[in-house]
Amino acid sequence: MNKLVFYTFLALFFLGCRKEDKVNFDGPSLSDSFGPFAILQDLSLNTYEVDFSAGQQVVFSMELSKNTNWVIEIEGENSGAVRTITGNERILSIDNAKWTGGANQFPSFNLEKAYITITFPNETDSPTILDSVLITGLKQDEGFLITSFEEGLGTTWQQFNQTTVAGTITCDPALAAKGSCFYSWNGTVGWDWAIGSVTIKPPSGTFGLPSNANNLFFNLAFKALQNVGPQNSFLLFWFDEDDNGDGVFNLNSEDRFIFEYWSNTLDWDLISRKYADLKFDADGAEQTTNGNGLTEPSKLISINVFFLANPNNGNAQAFADHLIFTLNEPYQP
Amino acid sequence: MKRIGYILLLLFVSQNFWAQERKFQVNGDARGYMFAKNMLIDPALDSINAPRANYGHTLLDLGFSIFPNANTEIISSFRIRNELGGFWGGGVSFNVRQLTLRGVAGNVVKYNLGDIDLKMTPYTLYNFQEEGSINEAEIFSLRRQVVHYDMFYMPGNTWRMQGAQIGFGLQFSKFLKAIEFSGFITRQRPTDGITIPERLFGGGTITWKQNDHLSFAFNSISLFDLTRTINDSIRYKNNVNTFSVKYRNTINDHIDWGFDAEAGSSNVNYINYVNPLAPDLQNDWFYDASFTLNFKKPKILLNLGYKDVGADFFSPGAQTKRVDFTKFPGVFQQYTNAALGRQVNITDIINHNAAYSYQISDKLMAYDVAYNNINPHGIATPNRRGVYLNAERCDSVKFKRSFIQIAQLFESRGMGTNLKKSFTSIGAGTDIRINDFFGWKRELVFNFGLRHDITNRGGEVFEKINLASTLVDFGLSLNIVGKLDILLGAKYFQAKGNEFVTLRNAFNTVNNFQAVDLDITETTMAAGLRYKFSEKNQLLVNYQNHQLKNRTTGGINYGISQFNILYTLTF
Repeated sequence: MNKLVFYTFLALFFLGCRKEDKVNFDGPSLSDSFGPFAILQDLSLNTYEVDFSAGQQVVFSMELSKNTNWVIEIEGENSGAVRTITGNERILSIDNAKWTGGANQFPSFNLEKAYITITFPNETDSPTILDSVLITGLKQDEGFLITSFEEGLGTTWQQFNQTTVAGTITCDPALAAKGSCFYSWNGTVGWDWAIGSVTIKPPSGTFGLPSNANNLFFNLAFKALQNVGPQNSFLLFWFDEDDNGDGVFNLNSEDRFIFEYWSNTLDWDLISRKYADLKFDADGAEQTTNGNGLTEPSKLISINVFFLANPNNGNAQAFADHLIFTLNEPYQP
Repeated sequence: MKRIGYILLLLFVSQNFWAQERKFQVNGDARGYMFAKNMLIDPALDSINAPRANYGHTLLDLGFSIFPNANTEIISSFRIRNELGGFWGGGVSFNVRQLTLRGVAGNVVKYNLGDIDLKMTPYTLYNFQEEGSINEAEIFSLRRQVVHYDMFYMPGNTWRMQGAQIGFGLQFSKFLKAIEFSGFITRQRPTDGITIPERLFGGGTITWKQNDHLSFAFNSISLFDLTRTINDSIRYKNNVNTFSVKYRNTINDHIDWGFDAEAGSSNVNYINYVNPLAPDLQNDWFYDASFTLNFKKPKILLNLGYKDVGADFFSPGAQTKRVDFTKFPGVFQQYTNAALGRQVNITDIINHNAAYSYQISDKLMAYDVAYNNINPHGIATPNRRGVYLNAERCDSVKFKRSFIQIAQLFESRGMGTNLKKSFTSIGAGTDIRINDFFGWKRELVFNFGLRHDITNRGGEVFEKINLASTLVDFGLSLNIVGKLDILLGAKYFQAKGNEFVTLRNAFNTVNNFQAVDLDITETTMAAGLRYKFSEKNQLLVNYQNHQLKNRTTGGINYGISQFNILYTLTF
């Protein structure tokens, strides 16, 4: 019996030995996360001329030696538009590094050259990769574009400007939030907050927006240049609805939803608000209107954009651009 | 008052029953435990969290054993707990701590129903010791015993579960001595009726006793979800089957020898899970074999063995940890002005401030690589193979108990790299009766324990590991007069080096590693007085100071001082 036990032990010891696994290991490779940094395959782009309007995109391809943070920054040569793409993967590919023409915020890209910079912030002494791509067609907006001020003043639009204010459409691709033109106010009004306004109306009837206010977003690019600050200047919007469908807005019997947006930066700002939320004021209280009280975008007949500024602060200047309604989410510049 | 009257009446009646017919027996434990703690941290680092905590409780576990007939016993235990400061019923809780029916059916089958304590083998069902002690001082172990008692971590490494257990044996006059059968089924988790199926845990052992020297056993255990307890077909199933052999014999009048081995396999199925991360089937195997030499004079036990536990060997009953290191401690949970969560330290575990397990975990629980990187999931820790040696000297007059534990283990599969880690562990400890050396009547016992663990892995700079941790336990107990003892204790823990903490997803699969650099020391000094009213009744008053120094970049140094009173009574 002693021998039996002894041989059993020997058999277990020698025959039961597990084969050395030299190929497989558990978990992700440590080399991918903690190994030395190197660029195994240089950056390549799928194209150096891209027409976003045709659905094309720029795909960045690159292979690194490890998973590490990388930042792709694309900057428009003339517009100054910026798009940033970030990731942490070892392989840059269509799955994680593609550009469809959008910017992080206003301004948007123009037909221009865009400079590409790739950096690796967690890797000391890592190289900065530079490249460029030529934009031959702009990203198509998804939504209901009311105006980007590219076509001049509409025939049904109305303007108001104080006597000391220049308020009109201005065209300069380097200054516009999108495209070339935008609406501009510039002037000193020492006696009143009102600077100027533009009332945007469709050529006839309504703007043709969908009826659901809960997934429709109003968007406008706004840039205050002088008299800036949350106590100093703001845009006041009137959304007038033709509740009875007679083609005319009557303040005494129809809904006017008012929304104000105070300036806070010197940069282009995206004003975005769900249409259904227009019936609430800045304090969250429901506005009192004279119509049926319902936010009905399909009945929207005019939008008045009114620039106001503190009269005690001297000159006031602001731009507005790209008025567009989008579905389900705010506008993506 | 009425309640106290009932209790006194019960006590009176029970004593009478017990004395006359032994049909009713009352026993119990009473405890008073009070803490006054101070967080010691630089005020510049923490000026927002309260630095003081005072709390405590008194409790009574009143147990009743009823013997309705000669073959049946009903055991119940009721806990009345009153939190310190919860006057007039506020903070008082009443719980059923145990309800068990047990007996022998037909003079053949032993059974247990209700709350049962279960253990099988170290690879199937085994509640292994938590971190932070090696032959520690009595001033610490007395408080650790409170945790063990409360969490049902009974001597013998059992798990407290709820279910049913049976056992019976057959004895033979020829060919073999006996065959014994035992089995159990317990409920681990109730269903929520929507997404979580009911989970059961069951197993059993068939032991074949060939003769007084040799026995074999087949052990099988399963953690599984019960079908149709939710309106979904997902089901988790883990099976572990092992075969063990035990042999004992005599070499001569002075030496016995023995051989123990256990080998088996596990498989895990995530059935009908739509999550792509859920593996279809994971299986692996293990074996563990050891020789034992037992010298009778002096009484020394030597145990030399080799084990190989596969990386995918999952045995929840044997690998569930007592301490959940993902949870913050119960006292001073947050510290620093940034309100950081404080990690569990060695004294939190002693003081019942850590989160402890009371259920079997289907996932390998997170562990602190500083405290135990060698066998963090017990003897059945997966992905370990190598030799171990245990030596123990027992019952010497002057040396009450001495032991040495050495292990040299390796990974069988790399973690994040093809290179394997090596683990070296050296432990030793002794209790020395100093009074016996000098012939003193009053007991003076010194105890000492040391454990030094080293983890290494070579390779490129980014994958190298070099981690060393040391735990030293000192203790002294001196009987100064009558039943009054002075107790002193010290713990020193140091961990220095680097490791990659393994992160697992919900399906036990390694999905990432967290690089950690360690350079910490923990020093715990404790002094106290114990008065033994009797062997089952004592009062401990002690002061303890714990300091944690973290020398890594951004590490936070802090300490916790505490004064506590512990009164225990068993009757």
